[in-house]
Order: sequence, then C-alpha cells, then structure tokens
Amino acid sequence: MQLQSTSYDLTDSADIQEFFHSRGWTDGFPIVPPTPELVQNCLEWVGMSADQLIGVEPVKERAIVVEKLAINAIMAGCLPVHFPIVVAAWNAMLQPQFLLHGATASTGGCAVLSILNGPIRLEIEAKAEFDVLGNGARATSVIGRALRLGLINILNVSPGAIDRSTLGHPGKISYCLAEDEEGTNWQSLAQSRGIPEQVSAITVVASGAPRQIMNEWTSVPEEILDTYVAEIRANMLNYSIWAGDYVIVIPKQHRDYLEAAGWSKADVAQYIYENARVKRSEWGQVGKQAVVRDKGDVTYNALMEPKNLLVLAAGGPAGGFGAIIPPWLGTKSRAVTMAIGACVNCES
Amino acid sequence: MSLQVLNPTSEEVIEECSLAKRLSTLEGATVGFISNGKEGTDRFFSSLTGVLYEQFSVAEVVLTTKSNYSAPADQTLIDEARDWHAVVTGVGD
Repeated sequence: MQLQSTSYDLTDSADIQEFFHSRGWTDGFPIVPPTPELVQNCLEWVGMSADQLIGVEPVKERAIVVEKLAINAIMAGCLPVHFPIVVAAWNAMLQPQFLLHGATASTGGCAVLSILNGPIRLEIEAKAEFDVLGNGARATSVIGRALRLGLINILNVSPGAIDRSTLGHPGKISYCLAEDEEGTNWQSLAQSRGIPEQVSAITVVASGAPRQIMNEWTSVPEEILDTYVAEIRANMLNYSIWAGDYVIVIPKQHRDYLEAAGWSKADVAQYIYENARVKRSEWGQVGKQAVVRDKGDVTYNALMEPKNLLVLAAGGPAGGFGAIIPPWLGTKSRAVTMAIGACVNCES
Repeated sequence: MSLQVLNPTSEEVIEECSLAKRLSTLEGATVGFISNGKEGTDRFFSSLTGVLYEQFSVAEVVLTTKSNYSAPADQTLIDEARDWHAVVTGVGD
C-alpha cells in the first residue's frame, strides 16, 4: 500500500522545521522530518497497511488511519519499536468511554496521561524510577509527544482551535510513564484492570497535572496514605468535587513501608476510598460558599468505588514523595486500558 | 539536496453542510433549546424563553438538556428536534 499523504520536497533542516512550524504542525519544538522511509519502517514494524483504520473520532467523524499516526510518531522522535504503543494508545483513546473530544477540547485543560505496563517497557527502556513524571526516559517522552502531535495534527487539537484549555498544563507536551514492576511485589496496574500477566498494555487517563506530596516522617501506612488523601481532598475542594478515576503514584520509599506492612494495592485503594471524602459545606472554606446552598451536609467521595483508584508503583528510589493525578472532570471520561499488539477478550 | 517529507494532518476532505432554511417569522413556531447542561444555562434559557413568548409570539418553547455537556446530543434528542421549527443550541457556563 502506497502512502497517501501529500509529500513535499524541502531543501535543508532549517527549511523543514520552519515549514512545519509555520503550518501549526508542531508543538513548538523541533520535529524529526517524517520521510516516507521512516514512516514505512513504523508500518512494517506493526505489520499494518498505511490505510488501516484504527477508529473514528465520533464528534468530528474523522477516520484515524495508521499512516497519519506513524507520521506524527516519527515527528515526535519515535522509533519503530515505540509505534505499537502509539497505535494501542489511540485505540484506547477512541473508545467511547474515554470521550476523546470532550477531554481534549475542555476549558478544564487536562492532558492524556498514558501508563505503560508489561514486557514492552523493558524492550524500549521505559524507565520508571528517577524523574518518572518528568523526562525520565526517551521512550516515554517520545510516546507521550507522539500522542499529542497526533491530536494536534489529525484532530486539530491545537490551542485555541479544538483545544480550549484555559490554562492547560505541561503534560500536554508529553505525559507518559511506565510502572516500576520490577521494583514492587504489587500486581501491575494493567493486571488489576484485566490484562493477563506478560501481556503489555497501555492505560490512558484524561488527567490534570500531578500534585506532589511529601511525608518523610512516618512508616505507618495509614499516616502515609493520609497525606495522599489530603491532597485528593484539596483537589476536590479547589478544583472538582466530582468522583472520577484518580491516579496515585507511589515511589519506592513509601511503597516499601506499605508492602512491608502487608498492604496490597487493593488495600491502598480501599483506604483512600473510605477517607478521600469531603462535605459540600467545606467549599465554604475555599471561597465557594455560593454553591454550597442547602446541600452542606452532603458527602462526596473522590472514588465511586475503590477500583477507580489507579495505584501506580513508580518513582526514584529515595524520598518520601508521591503524587496524585486528578481526573479531568468526574466521570465524563473513564480510564481505558488496552493490550499492546495483542487482543484480549476480543470477539473473534 | 532535498528531503521528501509527509503531511501529518488528516487531509480528509470535510463535507460542507448547508444552513437550514431561515424562518420568515417565529410567530406560532415551536422553538427548542438544547442546553449543554451547565448550571448557567438555566437562567439564560428561561430568560430567552420569556422573550420568545412575549416578543415573538411563539407557540411553544421546548427546553431540553444533553446528558453529557462534553459529548454530542443523544440521538433521541436529535430526533425530537426534527419536530421543531427552530432550535437554539450553544454553550452556557
């Protein structure tokens, strides 16, 4: 299958960069020129033809074909080995419960967080320790960027166009991380969401910016988790009170205390489910008295069920830090986990 | 030396829609509102409803709300709108 995209003959590196920038086809950073050869390499790696349909974005009714994903992945710096992850992530984002248009258009300004699990992490060296929420690894940086460039170019999710974020956050540049499965005895996030062991998977979540916490002064699980709970409660009051899919990132220092005390991810989720709650009257303490009305005694949970907490083992080996990553807005968008290069529970 | 590069955008040709025929008058018409469901729409649309009845003599105003303000209207709502002479939709916050 021949590539269908319009091609351009450009003369030098600076020329190419300005050509792409001037058309609004970048995120402001330099791109890798998407040549037909590089794009074909990605297609061959996944064994897909250029015109293979990944899905249709229902609001704009726009077909998402693999050739365009490959072009944007190359631009972001992806190698062919990264490309199956990009394809799986798009497949996940196009599931109806993810509500891709709403999540990428909203003034709320979330970004698409993607979380990697399974053997592919090791193959692509997606490190999950130091700076896991920063530029911790080449693989995660370029995969996250590929998703964003694809949104910009294929669905016009550019600032001020489809993307109407009031503020946005830095995760809109790239927001991908891997789980530190080797550094924990806990079940992986993907397994807890139904993916078999040894199958690689990606989970996409419409997420706000990470909110970092610190508690280096206890080894008691409840006390450690109370700090995470406090940050979730703060998010509920200061941002959105509605329950949704929260992610918490627990680095090794906190994890070691929790695991030594025999706490599983399910135990962590149960504790946070029971404690991450606010009363509507508490809005009055943060300047939102006007919307308390006569519902001050109503209690709101951060999680509809414990399983709505996505507990992630990741982060550098030292430091009593952690992070909560709040949902975009309640349950408007749900986290979606998709196997990479495999079909799990698919119809034959 | 030149390098061949590819267009990263959709390049899908978007089918243009044409506007519905304009009404010459609202008198006796059924006008529907499709609210996005945000809180601010209540007062705004109820105020507009008053204007439509008092100043434009419409026969009926139908107030509807989408089930999810970040998603397109449900098909049942779109089907209901086919019975209206005019529809007002928009974002309220």
